[in-house]
Amino acid sequence: MFHRNPIPSLTRRDALRKMGAGFGTMGLAGVLAQSHLLGSQLPEINPNTSPLAPKPPHFAPKAKHVIQLFMPGGPSQVDTFDYKPDIAKHAGERPDCVDRKSLRNTKMGLMPSPYSFKQYGKCGKHVSEIFPHTAQCVDDICFIHSMHTDIPEHAGAMMMMNAGHLQPSRPSMGSWMVYGLGTENQDLPGFIAMSPRAQPRNKLANWSNAFLPGAYTGTYVNIHDMKPERILDDLKNKWLPKVDQRKQADLLARLNQLDLHRQQGDQQLEASIQAMEMAFRMQFAVPDAFDTSRETKSTLEMYGNSEYAKGCLLARRLIERGVRTVQLSLSIDGYDIAWDTGHGNIVDGHRKLAAACDQGIAALIQDLKQRGLFDETLIIWGGEFGRAPTSEGQKGRDHDHYGFTTWMAGGGVKGGISYGATDEFGLTAVEDRVHVHDLHATILHLMGLDHERLTYRYSGRDYRLTDVSGTVISDIIA
Amino acid sequence: MLASLLMIGTLAHQTRGQEVVEEKENFPAEQIEFFETKIRPLLVEKCYHCHSTDAPELRGELYADSRLGLITGGDSGAAISPGQPDDSLLIDSINYRSMEMPPNGKLDPEQIAALTHWVEIGAPWPRVTSAPGAQSTSEKTDWTSFDWDSARQSHWAWKPVKRPSLPSPVLDPSLSPIDQFVTARRTAASLPSNSPASPAILARRIYNDLVGISPTPAQVDAFVLSAAADYPRAVAILVDDLLATPQYGQRWARHWLDVARFSDGRGGFMDNKPLDQAWRYRDWVVDSFNQDLPINEFMRLQITGDLSKENDHAIATGFFALGPTYQSDGGDPDSVAQARGETLDDRVDTLTRGLMGITGSCARCHDHKFDPIPQIDYYSLAGIFNNTTVHDHPLASAEIVIRFNQHKQQVDSLNQKINPLKNKLRQEKREATLDEQESLDQWIANLEALLADQPLGYETTHALRDTGTADMKIAIRGNLRKTGDVAPRRFPRLISTGNTGTYQNGSGRIELANAIVHADNPLTTRVFVNRIWMHHFGAGLVRTPSNFGTMGEKPSHPQLLDWLASEFVADGWSLKSLHRKIMNSQTYQLSSANNPEAFHRDGDNRWLWRMSPRRMDVESFRDSLLAVTGELDVQSGGPSLPDTTRNNRRTLYAKVSRNGDVFDSDRFLRRFDFPLMRATVAQRPNSIVPQQFLFLLNSDFMMARAKSLAQRLNATGKSDAEKIHQVYRWLYSREPNPEEIEIGLQFVNNSQNTDQLSNWDRYAQVLLSANEFMYVR
Repeated sequence: MFHRNPIPSLTRRDALRKMGAGFGTMGLAGVLAQSHLLGSQLPEINPNTSPLAPKPPHFAPKAKHVIQLFMPGGPSQVDTFDYKPDIAKHAGERPDCVDRKSLRNTKMGLMPSPYSFKQYGKCGKHVSEIFPHTAQCVDDICFIHSMHTDIPEHAGAMMMMNAGHLQPSRPSMGSWMVYGLGTENQDLPGFIAMSPRAQPRNKLANWSNAFLPGAYTGTYVNIHDMKPERILDDLKNKWLPKVDQRKQADLLARLNQLDLHRQQGDQQLEASIQAMEMAFRMQFAVPDAFDTSRETKSTLEMYGNSEYAKGCLLARRLIERGVRTVQLSLSIDGYDIAWDTGHGNIVDGHRKLAAACDQGIAALIQDLKQRGLFDETLIIWGGEFGRAPTSEGQKGRDHDHYGFTTWMAGGGVKGGISYGATDEFGLTAVEDRVHVHDLHATILHLMGLDHERLTYRYSGRDYRLTDVSGTVISDIIA
Repeated sequence: MLASLLMIGTLAHQTRGQEVVEEKENFPAEQIEFFETKIRPLLVEKCYHCHSTDAPELRGELYADSRLGLITGGDSGAAISPGQPDDSLLIDSINYRSMEMPPNGKLDPEQIAALTHWVEIGAPWPRVTSAPGAQSTSEKTDWTSFDWDSARQSHWAWKPVKRPSLPSPVLDPSLSPIDQFVTARRTAASLPSNSPASPAILARRIYNDLVGISPTPAQVDAFVLSAAADYPRAVAILVDDLLATPQYGQRWARHWLDVARFSDGRGGFMDNKPLDQAWRYRDWVVDSFNQDLPINEFMRLQITGDLSKENDHAIATGFFALGPTYQSDGGDPDSVAQARGETLDDRVDTLTRGLMGITGSCARCHDHKFDPIPQIDYYSLAGIFNNTTVHDHPLASAEIVIRFNQHKQQVDSLNQKINPLKNKLRQEKREATLDEQESLDQWIANLEALLADQPLGYETTHALRDTGTADMKIAIRGNLRKTGDVAPRRFPRLISTGNTGTYQNGSGRIELANAIVHADNPLTTRVFVNRIWMHHFGAGLVRTPSNFGTMGEKPSHPQLLDWLASEFVADGWSLKSLHRKIMNSQTYQLSSANNPEAFHRDGDNRWLWRMSPRRMDVESFRDSLLAVTGELDVQSGGPSLPDTTRNNRRTLYAKVSRNGDVFDSDRFLRRFDFPLMRATVAQRPNSIVPQQFLFLLNSDFMMARAKSLAQRLNATGKSDAEKIHQVYRWLYSREPNPEEIEIGLQFVNNSQNTDQLSNWDRYAQVLLSANEFMYVR
């Protein structure tokens, strides 16, 4: 069923295929009922014309929603979650295994982590002192220490992580998911990307639909500036109160109904009537979803005051309302590859970045668990690559695409485990290696999608998120 | 069939059902079944990761994904000797004798026994197909002995264009050839045809189609009047008239700009250069269409314009020069190679899909999986562009350029003497010595003289330039740092163009252009006329307009397509003649009314029983909004404008960034399906999403249009009912019916004026947002 043409022609065939897809008719019925202008002899409306209507997965999913906590710039694995005490023992040395050919500046000796590590939870996971809150959740987290990617360069590696390809020309992971599964709440976009201040490097390409139909694009919200009219372009009507807007919308629906009648039914016109009604409701549903003022005091305190924590709370509100995918990127100081301050100064830079997100992340996990949403929500934390255990100067570390850490929690992954491993110093993934394509295959699998069957025909071939590779990591699935 | 199905699982490029054609080695069905159930899955699971065309890193040069690959073997020699397991390295290795394969664990005894048995019975392997047109990768093709002539006969699009005779029996000799071809297919499908469209609807269709702006009531009335006298003649005259307006080129250039993935640059981190002169290429396309520049010349200039005697022709190479040209971040060799590889891929992709409807890019990392395009042929094309670079080409004579640059050098060199001395004096806090003062005075005098004689400056355009004449080597799996055989620069061998030799002239672009527009090239004209047909009808005769390969769709009307292509050449590649032929056909003029019975049987309108109703593209929609409110500024040409929701110029002139994320205009355009200009666009999607309606309901732009329209209505001084009549004629080219008048009157009478919006403003906004305005029937 995923062999769709690039152009949704909304012909009879499409209509039949979409039958029973379950897009609610309530909204439109609402318009018709409320509209005293409407006549009674209107044609039947086919409700299943929304490209965002929920679609059945390939198989029973483990998770229904994804929250990607994206850490652009490359957090250092050996200073966060990949504990490597051997570095200290060999400080300043350059053992063979870290002397890999890399044109990045990793020519100095091993640099011990400036942070102390402690063990946490039943699983006894070692976590760096800069993530004290997340450390409390280790029994819910599945750490993948054997991630690797293709190049040690931000823009390309970010595209690989978020769209499965080094160049910004492919649909993003979130777009693929909405394309494959639709979304549960037709009053809200199905895929929302957020960050405080700076958008992650490559901007829109991180949530772009690329060649998928426009309906599958991510909607970006800058959580630094949360005025309702800034959330979506033209979300707010500056001129009319709701009641008058409703009258206008009713008149438009009425005229479009007459046109539909005159044209003896037309799928496109029907879809258009639906979309207009959706737009009307979005004006009110979107600000409501983004309004955290009615959260309880204890909830707000649990998340804390950072901008990223606000994003975490919004992420919960969005998936609670049926949004399929949320991508929340970290940014501080307006930097589009936040964790890249690791070049010059791991000590202060990483501490500050961790502090900006740690409490919010832990609160998100706790909050989802309290609300019974944890099991159906897949949380993914990580950057586009990691950082080398050797130093590039006195206090900094350069990019490392040979090995890094990503963790997942919730929706169908085992908690309290660590999968795969880097070498004794943390440079190269050596055990149970997981390429980004494998991570994507696994994420799609957890969402009930077979990464080899989620295809879209474009430019003469069937494209996939995982290109021509990807293996589901079955060992981490609960 | 089983064979191809099983194989699909391992390929990303999935195949549709293909015919199984038997090969020389014809194995019994039960042996093939044994292979498919026991052997292939084993090979896929245990060997492909290192030994297949899809292997992340090929080991030992061994391909275990084809029989030929195993027989040919790799670094260690042949892997199998069919019938002789004892002499087969594969069997040796899986028993962990000479080598230990697979390295991460010995196979089970049953698996070893199965493979041994398989070699023993002759290593049966199904041949999916021997038809060159539907090659599959699992069989490595030997291209040195490949029969190109039969390949060219194996798929409709590779065959030469042949002018077809008209269908017989001729139903009605008065029908135009287009109508005869269409009627023959439609009759064969037992579908009725609609009657001709009413003149008012047809007028709106023709205006939107040719100039992208809805007609005024006066224009509609004039057409209706002349159509009453002579319908076909009225169409012919209107088409001629509109083809002669500048707005025609502004409309149709945009269709080509989609193919050319035209943008003003700013493509993000690795391709972030602003292309501030890109508009020159856009205006060149507009002018070319308005002047009816023969399309072969149009294409030739886009490939080789910089090599022409006319200096301005360099603008045309914007077709390639405006594409993404990637830089690398950090400069490590992998990233540099990646950036170059992607840049070349853009050129090859735009050339092959855009001009010829073949998916050449699919052969970047391996032989094309379905069409006979070997990987080496990709690098033969890429090699041409690898000898070019993008630069700012001066749009002035050599003397002016030289003079300007010399002057600038002189000024610079004087400044380089004067400034350091002045700084020195300032730092040392002293007066100049006599000698120093003398030099300074002299230099300053010279500088002033130079500045007084400022030579003419000159403008530039983004263009291609040749940089060399070298061939590339095949990049193994697309990695330019792992190279294979030399790929001599030449045309894809699949496409016959007379010249099968290698290219010797500079980069090879002149030979390339000759091959593209060569009379024997079966693709260029078919692809081009199909695109034109698509824009007139909403769908092409081939519905995959940039893929005429075996994975593309077949033409619904193959003879009509070939007739159009041969007429097009006979008319000297004249686009305007092609428009006339199409629009003067009865097929084009059919009503778009729905016929439930016909719709039930042919909802996609493949057999052209009606004109397909269509939603306007974003350009027509915005331009028509501005036109009906009397605000459209039809000024032609010039630099692109980033503020398209705040100016009144045609939408064509909006500034567009490659990723659609930089300018205000991007945000507006993207909401209405303006595609990303990252790669050649075959056809725009047509999505209907709530965000579009947020724009219609709430945007400043729509509010401004509504106010203008209401103002324009009020200025008529008519009664409310008369105003409703008037506005229906402006917007929908028709009179309202009594019910519509009643609804309108009710709305304006029951709505209160607010401080900012009158009831008529609000009514006008609804009418402008209605489906009827956005649809062309």
